[in-house]
Amino acid sequence: MAKKLYIFGIGGTGSRVLKALTMLFASGARLENGFEIVIPIIIDPDTSNGDLNRTKDILRLYQEIRNQVDQPNDFFSQEIKTINELTNNSPVVNPDYFQFKLKDVDQNTFNQYIGFDSLSEDFTHSMDDKNFVRLLYSEKNLRSNLDIGFKGNPNMGSIVLNQFTNSDDFIKFGQTFNDGDAIFIINSIFGGTGAAGFPLLLKNLRGNTNLPRYAKISIAPIGGITYLPYFSLNKQDEINAESFEEKAKIAIDYYNRTIISQNKINTLYFIGNRGNTNHEEYAVGGQEQKNKAHFLELAGALSIFDFCKSFNVNSQTTQVKEFGIEKITENISFGDLNIENAKQLSSPLTKFKLYTEYLNKGLPKALNIARWTKSNIKLVTGSKQSLLDKNYFNSAEYKTQILAFNNYFDEWLKEMKENKPSFCPFEEIGADNALELVKGQIPNGNKSFKSIDIENCLLTDNISIRSKEKKHTTLIKMFGKSTQEVLSKRKLLIR
Amino acid sequence: MNELFAAIYENTWFGIYDTNFSLIFATLYDNASYTKLGLSFLLIPLICWLLFYYFWKYPYGKIWHWLAWLFITVVLVSSISFGIANSEIFASNNQALNDAIADSSTGYQGYADSLPFKYALFNGSAALLIGIIYSLLMKQFSKIQMHLPF
Repeated sequence: MAKKLYIFGIGGTGSRVLKALTMLFASGARLENGFEIVIPIIIDPDTSNGDLNRTKDILRLYQEIRNQVDQPNDFFSQEIKTINELTNNSPVVNPDYFQFKLKDVDQNTFNQYIGFDSLSEDFTHSMDDKNFVRLLYSEKNLRSNLDIGFKGNPNMGSIVLNQFTNSDDFIKFGQTFNDGDAIFIINSIFGGTGAAGFPLLLKNLRGNTNLPRYAKISIAPIGGITYLPYFSLNKQDEINAESFEEKAKIAIDYYNRTIISQNKINTLYFIGNRGNTNHEEYAVGGQEQKNKAHFLELAGALSIFDFCKSFNVNSQTTQVKEFGIEKITENISFGDLNIENAKQLSSPLTKFKLYTEYLNKGLPKALNIARWTKSNIKLVTGSKQSLLDKNYFNSAEYKTQILAFNNYFDEWLKEMKENKPSFCPFEEIGADNALELVKGQIPNGNKSFKSIDIENCLLTDNISIRSKEKKHTTLIKMFGKSTQEVLSKRKLLIR
Repeated sequence: MNELFAAIYENTWFGIYDTNFSLIFATLYDNASYTKLGLSFLLIPLICWLLFYYFWKYPYGKIWHWLAWLFITVVLVSSISFGIANSEIFASNNQALNDAIADSSTGYQGYADSLPFKYALFNGSAALLIGIIYSLLMKQFSKIQMHLPF
């Protein structure tokens, strides 16, 4: 049976790392050690959060595209499913199932949620009283609407998030958990949702006897990545970025005592950027919270690959790992990473970048001219006709799935480039210098998209990439192969 | 092979062969010139279309590329055929033929002068026809130019 990796992405950072991971999967990166299926689970009370919804949409598109590829083996090869698909064996793509629902957070303020109003003011004659609660929560906390998260207050998050372990979604998670499966948790330590959610989730995974298949889950390999402060905010209000570092220190101390020292987790990754100069637009949550993608989220996604590759089920002690790059620079490209990370990222990202650039800038020249885009060639058998003709490129599926996903990919790279430190391994290219896309590398010979078109022509009647039933098979498999071939021949990939 | 090509070139239907100037045709036959002429319209288009369909790595080929290639092939075959016919007739070892051409009263001179053009025209036409046939056959197995001419 295929091994599954459940990835809990908590809060805004969780969503953004899942987005980076999805981009890597789309580019052809795969988990090792037989993890065939990835189940992303987003835990965020802030249902209108811009980051969350963007990630859910990306996951939806990923699934829709992958469902239309027959036995993907390069781009989109890693299978992503929701808990709902696992339990109901349903092929219906519904991105809402990527998110665990939290009850009673939509309309309530925090004081309504904890039943603050029903408590007594009289501490002498009452068991529970308002004054005790006031010791723990400020008036601002109590009046806070929960539908936009915890605004950087883990003391609120720890109360609200405690309920999700009793939810239907969490029970379904337990029911689908099997031997060999593993769990990974993504959180940030300097905010509200992530900082509170991680210890709670871990406590329940290791010790909640009511959880279905508790015996398996409690001893399952669990990894996690905790984000230390890596961005700041351009304004101070309800959320104060100056407190990020202090909150991080306090939380690390807590994690150290309750998680690391007690070996509750197999591997814990830490990542952050001290002295960061990156300022995000201030937003407490909701649609406005749509932070630019950051290189550290991509680096964090690599920890998931590392975990799957290297966790040791027999080890009794928690391994703590950190991420670093080889050269300190504000403009990171592949050559600035350590060689292993460069190898991991260079090939998939360069290939997928070339593919998206081709569809934007190269296709108009080839469409209905190059053999690989023609399906009406006379005196030739059907098996030699292209399945990627004008009709395909004009189809709704191509426009609303392939192009939409590619736009997200380009936006993601663009945001990482504009962020600080900037991740900018690619150059701006045009149709005539397409193969100059890798920064610092200028290949010999023709630099246009011509070599891609040639490879595509050579692949057109290759039976392994053809499928009439699954519409995107040929496009995805063809470009997986042709970009690999072209970039390898021109020595543009780090191996 | 010479017999085969002789049968083609000496077929009166094509209007080249003339019994009044048999000395020329006997010379061409004896020197295996028909083989040279025949192979030129068979092999040159073969090489040209092999290059077009299997070695020309240009994925944006259009019908005008194919037409241009056809034209080049025809011109090439015609030119080479002209050269072959010219040298085979006017630089032959057949003294009798050379004498006949030199003697203006025989009419050989004028007829011989027109023959290289006729062979060039014939071979050019043959190259056109055979080029189309080669093209339709070769496109089946071409990876890049399969869509040409249509």
